[in-house]
Amino acid sequence: MATKIDVTNLPGPTPRMEAIKKRFINTTPEICVERAQLITESYKETEDLPTHLRRAKAFEKILNGMTVFIADDELIVGNQCTKPRSAPVYPEFSCKWLEAELDRLEKRAGDVFLISEEKKKILRDLFPYWDKKTSNELATSLMTDDALAAQGAGVFTVGNYYFNGVGHISVDYAKVLAQGLNGIIAEAKAELAKVDPTNPDDLKKMHFLHAVIISNEAVIAFARRFAAEADKLAASEKNGQRKAELQEISRICQKVPAQPASSFWEAVQSFWFIQLVLQLESNGHSISPMRFDQYMYPYLQMDKGITAEKAQELLDLLYIKFSEINKVRDEGSTKAFGGYPMFQNLIVGGVDSEGEDATNDLSFMCLQATANAKLYQPSISIRVHSNTPADLYRKAAEVSRVGLGMPAYYNDRFIIPALLSRGLTREDARDYGIIGCVEPQVAGKTEGWHDAAFFNMSKVLELALNDGVDALTGKQLGPKTGALDTFTSFDDVMKAYKTQMEYFVKLLVISDNAVDIAHGQRTPLPFLSSLVDDCMVKGKSLQEGGAHYNFTGPQGVGVGNVGDSLTALKKLVFEDKAITLAELKKGLATNFEGVDMESMRQMLLNRAPKYGNDNEYADTIAHEGALIYCREVEKYSNPRGGRFQPGLYPVSANVPLGTVVGASADGRKSGTPLADGVSPVSGVDQSGPTASVRSVARLDHVIASNGTLLNMKFHPNALKDDRGIQNLVGVTETFFNGGGTHIQYNVIARDTLLDAQQHPDNYQGMVVRVAGYSAFFTALDKAIQNDIIARTEQMF
Amino acid sequence: MSWTHEYLLYDPDAGNRPELTGLVSDFQRFSIHDGPGIRTIVFLKGCPLHCAWCANPESISPRPEIMLISHNCIGCGKCIDVCPAKCFGASDRIVCAIDRDSCLLPECGKCQRVCYANAVNISGRYLTVEEVMEVVMRDREFYDRTGGGITFSGGEPFAQPVFLLELARTAKVLKLHTAVETCGYVSWNIFNSVLEYLDIVLFDLKHMDPAMHLQGTGVDNQMILENAKRVDASGKPIRIRLPLIPGFNDSEENIRATAGFIASFSNLEALDILPYHRMGEPKWGQLHQDYKLHDVAPHGKDRVLELADIARSFGIEVTVGG
Repeated sequence: MATKIDVTNLPGPTPRMEAIKKRFINTTPEICVERAQLITESYKETEDLPTHLRRAKAFEKILNGMTVFIADDELIVGNQCTKPRSAPVYPEFSCKWLEAELDRLEKRAGDVFLISEEKKKILRDLFPYWDKKTSNELATSLMTDDALAAQGAGVFTVGNYYFNGVGHISVDYAKVLAQGLNGIIAEAKAELAKVDPTNPDDLKKMHFLHAVIISNEAVIAFARRFAAEADKLAASEKNGQRKAELQEISRICQKVPAQPASSFWEAVQSFWFIQLVLQLESNGHSISPMRFDQYMYPYLQMDKGITAEKAQELLDLLYIKFSEINKVRDEGSTKAFGGYPMFQNLIVGGVDSEGEDATNDLSFMCLQATANAKLYQPSISIRVHSNTPADLYRKAAEVSRVGLGMPAYYNDRFIIPALLSRGLTREDARDYGIIGCVEPQVAGKTEGWHDAAFFNMSKVLELALNDGVDALTGKQLGPKTGALDTFTSFDDVMKAYKTQMEYFVKLLVISDNAVDIAHGQRTPLPFLSSLVDDCMVKGKSLQEGGAHYNFTGPQGVGVGNVGDSLTALKKLVFEDKAITLAELKKGLATNFEGVDMESMRQMLLNRAPKYGNDNEYADTIAHEGALIYCREVEKYSNPRGGRFQPGLYPVSANVPLGTVVGASADGRKSGTPLADGVSPVSGVDQSGPTASVRSVARLDHVIASNGTLLNMKFHPNALKDDRGIQNLVGVTETFFNGGGTHIQYNVIARDTLLDAQQHPDNYQGMVVRVAGYSAFFTALDKAIQNDIIARTEQMF
Repeated sequence: MSWTHEYLLYDPDAGNRPELTGLVSDFQRFSIHDGPGIRTIVFLKGCPLHCAWCANPESISPRPEIMLISHNCIGCGKCIDVCPAKCFGASDRIVCAIDRDSCLLPECGKCQRVCYANAVNISGRYLTVEEVMEVVMRDREFYDRTGGGITFSGGEPFAQPVFLLELARTAKVLKLHTAVETCGYVSWNIFNSVLEYLDIVLFDLKHMDPAMHLQGTGVDNQMILENAKRVDASGKPIRIRLPLIPGFNDSEENIRATAGFIASFSNLEALDILPYHRMGEPKWGQLHQDYKLHDVAPHGKDRVLELADIARSFGIEVTVGG
């Protein structure tokens, strides 16, 4: 590149960037009906075709028919909807909930979407076509009654993929940049030449490859619609500079993503088209750019004409584009995924496939773009290893100080071995990135199904202490493992917990696999599949097992509550004999009503050791409670030929999952939130962050290879100077040295959050980290806001 | 209060063990404003000064004492039932008063054992050097990565001179970085005996004027000023700390006098101006003592920065907040 980049002094936001951001903030999300109309028309036209071809034809129709526009001053172009931040509709996955909630979209507590009566009518008219045709309805019919009952009681939810596309993937962006989609098409044609249609598998492969070619050509044509739009705008543009920009946009969109990129601007635009259309093909979220600093760097290096300012501005503008992507979820899901999150995770740093430090100028610039844009997308992350340059660590800590809850820090030293243990090659394990919140995988080769479920570990313990009977409904939900007052030892408690766990993990597996099979049958994604190894060679979509690596990753929620409950039982009931089982049974059944029961609750809260305070007794039990879940999950296989792998993170599902759990032996009242990720229970981590970090490191993070999540919240004072940055690095390094895999820092003061609750208008742009992602605080449901505020504030 | 589970309950016999014990009012792990790096503060109970603005009023008395947090009380009445001296007064079953003259502490402590809701708390635990170090050493890795260590604070740590000496000596055997926060009101012999085990001294100068100092803290400042000079002369790094109390020591005159006094020090790291805050006020209530500065508002940020600039004009390093 022409000028050397000074990574210690990167350019701030440009006036263009500020103007586009302001426009973005002032845009209210709406529902866009174009995609729903186009796909419904297409499906009606193609009822006689094989599924892959139907999918490709529908994708083509959407890309050809949807509105395209280039907004004022934009350099990176490509829109998902008729307006930025609007959300398309994907009726082929599910639409009954949307039909039922159409009138609630503007009125609900969080993640509001505007929609006109006219658009509601359009949707109401087309929804009947989809009756019984969705992936959701097929999945339901594949599930067993006991699995549906367990979901109904809130033992686990598979809602994410049950109602939506899967997403949670990172494609081979490097290949698109280097070969263009023409390269992908050529590869498909080469495979096609090898096909022998008399072989039944090859006959299916042939249709799949045709679908790949149609889809890729549709994307090229889509890009050229922007070239035409730019030409049109340029023709009437008076401002000479803008006219030249539009002409350049036209040239670039004519060229990429069809052909290889040969400048940084071309590479960014090519990347964006891919990132955008993946979200139009399916409504899966967490489509993650991952190691952007690695695959984009060659294009920055080869770009002789570009300045640091221009390169930074292009990145900053791309970050706004990331934030424009949106998705409408059902009201229940907004409680688990609050804040319009799309979880597009971009990670910098780490080692390369040889094990050497991979940091480059772009690693710094990606962090700088987060500080410049101050938006919640992309979710920015940093990989840390033994030789991470001090400057990069420092840059990351400086961005943490901005208060967006980003970046998240990931530990190469334990994640790489965790991935090796799941069968990745050494080179692939070293090349991992992060999907969505916290889930590690290698790009372009993996169908990780990372967000397979939220599994309510706390509910399972409730059932274990209640003879398998749901405390809230009185229904026999699990096996009869004995009433609480029949246990004679702590071992009896653990046995009951294990038995219930075995039972409900089985039901979880049935549910996940039912959804998985349904996606394979009804909603395969040929374009996405063409960008992931080994789909084209195998002749199978990702959804049918085409990927090189296949996993299913359900998340355990409530580690801290299970640990603290078991600890209180062991200590206060079986060791100290301060509480009898009969008394505890009564307390749990009555939600600790009455002063005697309240007194016992206080004893459970304050007289038993608690996970998160550097107490080995409590930490060991929390470790065991989580391990029982993890060991059970990793026994099973999925329909794509891969294995289940457990994770321990909640997104914000710890709030809704808490509402279905009765009073618990840790002193928690019925219906209140569960602990967040592997973080200690809110409010009991009174020994400060160093103690929390030591406790959390005692869990087995390697077996939880689908990811763990530790949220640390600091007062802004904490990072006000160089010492604060040094201390943040010290905490991160100590945690990582001890075995932790993920940590993130929230640095907004409690008072600020309280004030933001009272005066949301003053805080429209304020981003906080909720769990594995960041969101606008004021867009969150009040219960989630309260949960964030309640987390013990770690005053430096 | 951040007692580790082992020391959750007050033990009246703990102080009668043959080993040396000290009276510790609290630990604070992950302290970052009391010396370099990430540190653990050990708060030793007892102080010869009596300052109205004290943020840790429970550390003034050299004896264990009850701190009553009425809003935690659930009205179970257990403390009233077990108290042999009938100290507690309640309104609607919620405990709200204690007859502290009749309280049997440091013996007894039965009330705290039965108060599961942590309404009745006892400030002070008799701990051995080994017990203190067991807590402190847990964060060794954090200290090593950030240049942190242990800070002795209080109260006035020098008010338990033998215990402090043993703590500091042991900390140095364990190769920990050591700091002390002191009001300086201690005989030089005692100070000097501990000094060789200290890496840095954080030294309070509350007022330069002797009469004002006496009025605000209850003691004269002559020995304090002498000790500050002696610490500096010893060659140990010293930071002077000025808790900036509105209406007491926040005049430009006092800032000038303080800065002028320390400008000639040869081992001065900085003057730390610590803006007044009211976060200690609830604790005065829990001890049933009057917080006399209830109506005193903290300074605006601008005023603090102005005063810092005045101090800086004497050619010394000045920080706000330490």
